[in-house]
Amino acid sequence: MIDKFIPLISGIISLIFAFFVLARYIKRKGTYLLIWGIGTVFYGIGGLCEAYYGFFGWNPLVFRLWYLFGAILVAAWLGQGTVFLLARRKWAVALLVLLILGSLYGAFKVFNANLDPSKVVVATHTGSELSGKVITSPGVRILTPFFNLYGTVTMVGGAIYSAFIFWRKRVLLHRTIGNILIAVGAILPAFGGFFSRLQIPGALYFGEFLGILLLFTGFLRATTPMKNEATAVVVAAAD
Amino acid sequence: MEITILVTKNITKHEGQQANSRRKYPEIYEKMVPLALGLITLVVAALIIITVGIALGLWANPGH
Repeated sequence: MIDKFIPLISGIISLIFAFFVLARYIKRKGTYLLIWGIGTVFYGIGGLCEAYYGFFGWNPLVFRLWYLFGAILVAAWLGQGTVFLLARRKWAVALLVLLILGSLYGAFKVFNANLDPSKVVVATHTGSELSGKVITSPGVRILTPFFNLYGTVTMVGGAIYSAFIFWRKRVLLHRTIGNILIAVGAILPAFGGFFSRLQIPGALYFGEFLGILLLFTGFLRATTPMKNEATAVVVAAAD
Repeated sequence: MEITILVTKNITKHEGQQANSRRKYPEIYEKMVPLALGLITLVVAALIIITVGIALGLWANPGH
């Protein structure tokens, strides 16, 4: 059940989230929305590939798609959206060019990698989770930490920074809350992967599921002012 | 000292109107927001250290 329906639900939620983000992009423009939309589509692809494996078993194409989009690219592309939101445009564009080149290189390496499906059973902790240990060619799995590090620093760092700025000024409470939810949501898949390696069943898929839930909730919270949102203004009269 | 609490719908309209004003979020957020930001920062720092360690080969990458 865990290896089938949890990633399936994650994938569906991701694509619904992508719809909301891209709809907002069409309405309001903003490159950051487009990049986030692409990132959430990648999240959905990863989840649906995991679900496919759970329902139908091994497929090399599905594995390669999962590894490329779900393991390598998703964090970096979500983070790149945040870079467009917060950084100067010329730097954001330069980093996007690097990310595109890196993504193309990653795709080349993943689709040319040798795979050993028997390592899926060995590597997984529930008997059902996909794992990069299937890849036996060198120079592929080493890409993942770099992309994930970039994504973590930009997306989580950007969300924390934004929340801090709003909190410091005590304004736009809904955005403070939304950014905190986004930061936590972006971290959860990493926790899921960590606990998965400790052989806790379903940890990876639950981490991804809770992650996309919080990301989506955070996005909705940040873009929806609270009813009668107010900060209490304390006025101290002089003695 | 007299303290008056005013709740406004749009705080930015009142910026600058009160020379000694000090904004606050509702109390629960005043406590939880800095705590959450601090915890998240610590977690991110730990994740970065672990990721860099794996990339440098300081310890094995058991996963992806």
